[in-house]
Parts: sequence; C-alpha cells; structure tokens
Amino acid sequence: MNNYTFDELTVGMTESFKVKITEEMLDAFKGITGDVNPLHNDEEFAKAKGHPGRVAYGMLTASFLSTLAGVYIPGERSLIQQVETKFAKPVYIGDELTVTGEIVELVESVQRLELKVTITNQDGKKVLRGTMGILVV
Amino acid sequence: MTREEVFATLTDIFRDVFDDDDIELTDATTADDIEDWDSLEQINLVVACEKKFNVKFDMKEIQSLKNVGEMVDTIVGKL
Repeated sequence: MNNYTFDELTVGMTESFKVKITEEMLDAFKGITGDVNPLHNDEEFAKAKGHPGRVAYGMLTASFLSTLAGVYIPGERSLIQQVETKFAKPVYIGDELTVTGEIVELVESVQRLELKVTITNQDGKKVLRGTMGILVV
Repeated sequence: MTREEVFATLTDIFRDVFDDDDIELTDATTADDIEDWDSLEQINLVVACEKKFNVKFDMKEIQSLKNVGEMVDTIVGKL
C-alpha cells in the first residue's frame, strides 16, 4: 500500500492497477447490495438484450476507484470526498480492467487532490471515466 | 471586483455547493445557519472559491473565518 504525504504528490502523477472481473464478484455484489436485476444475473436475459453474457454492475466497476485512492494514490492517507463517474461501455465477466488515476490539481489549503480517473478494458476501450476529490489526511 | 460583486458571486457558489437556490447570505451567516454546512462542505466551498476568484487561501485563514462577511473580506483582500 502506498502512503504518499501531500507534499510528495505532484500534478501529473499517475498510478494504475489491473483487475479481472469474475462471476464470483458479480454474485458477491448482488449479495451485498440486493440488486437482483436480471441483466447482471441471468445470462439468457442478458443475451436477449444483445449482450454476450451477464453485464457487470456499473457500481462494481466503480468500486475499484475506492482501491485506486485507498491503496495507490494517495494510499493510506486517503479520504474520498467526492466521486463523479460516467459508465462509457458495458463490462463483462472475464474482462481485464486497468484502473488509472492521474492527479490534475492539488489544493494545498485543504490538502485535497483532484484525480482524473479512467478504467479501460483489455481492448483499450474506456469503460468508465470520471473525477475524484480526495483529502490527504 | 467590488465587495458587493464578491458577495453576489459567493452567494452563487454557496447555492451551487449546497444545491439550494434559496440560500440568502448575510455578513453574519455562519455554519449554524445552513444545515448542510459541515467540515466536508467547508472544503468544497474553499476549493470552489479558489477556482472562481483565482485566489489561494492558507489553512490558518480558513480556520479563523467566523462568518460569511469575514470570508468576503478575505477574498476582497486577495483580489
């Protein structure tokens, strides 16, 4: 786990990690949230809607932003204050995602960083993009 | 920018941050007068002010502000 102090951070600094989406992740997410929507849980239903299989929850994909801030940038001192995201493309079981954050602004007075975030799939297509406001505490 | 213009712009910032178009500020307005004005929203206010007015605060200044009037005066002093 990283442990950057505010003074160690610079605009343009990036961190990223990879994660593979599994069936177990979707099932665990359903158990936690109670979202039983068939698009995420019924393969035949999802195929009838034009997808190759069950569609991963958008919020499951977005949940890796928590890891990005809490483990990678800034890491241990992270306190996520704000997240804005757009889900650009669907994510499926077996997709290998790359989660990336780039510091675009540092607000010294309140020790807050603004992070531009993108998540891409194995084909290099953006599946999520957004911004995060993170306090370094 | 005059004090009145700063005050009007600050009112717009408050309405945007708290998503409440009914907010009316006075010099005496404090966090006790706006239900959602907590420490996290205070940070959002500071960040929004720094961007809008193109000024920088330091932590001591922020902690010493007692009400909206002092916030306006601090911003005017930096323009």
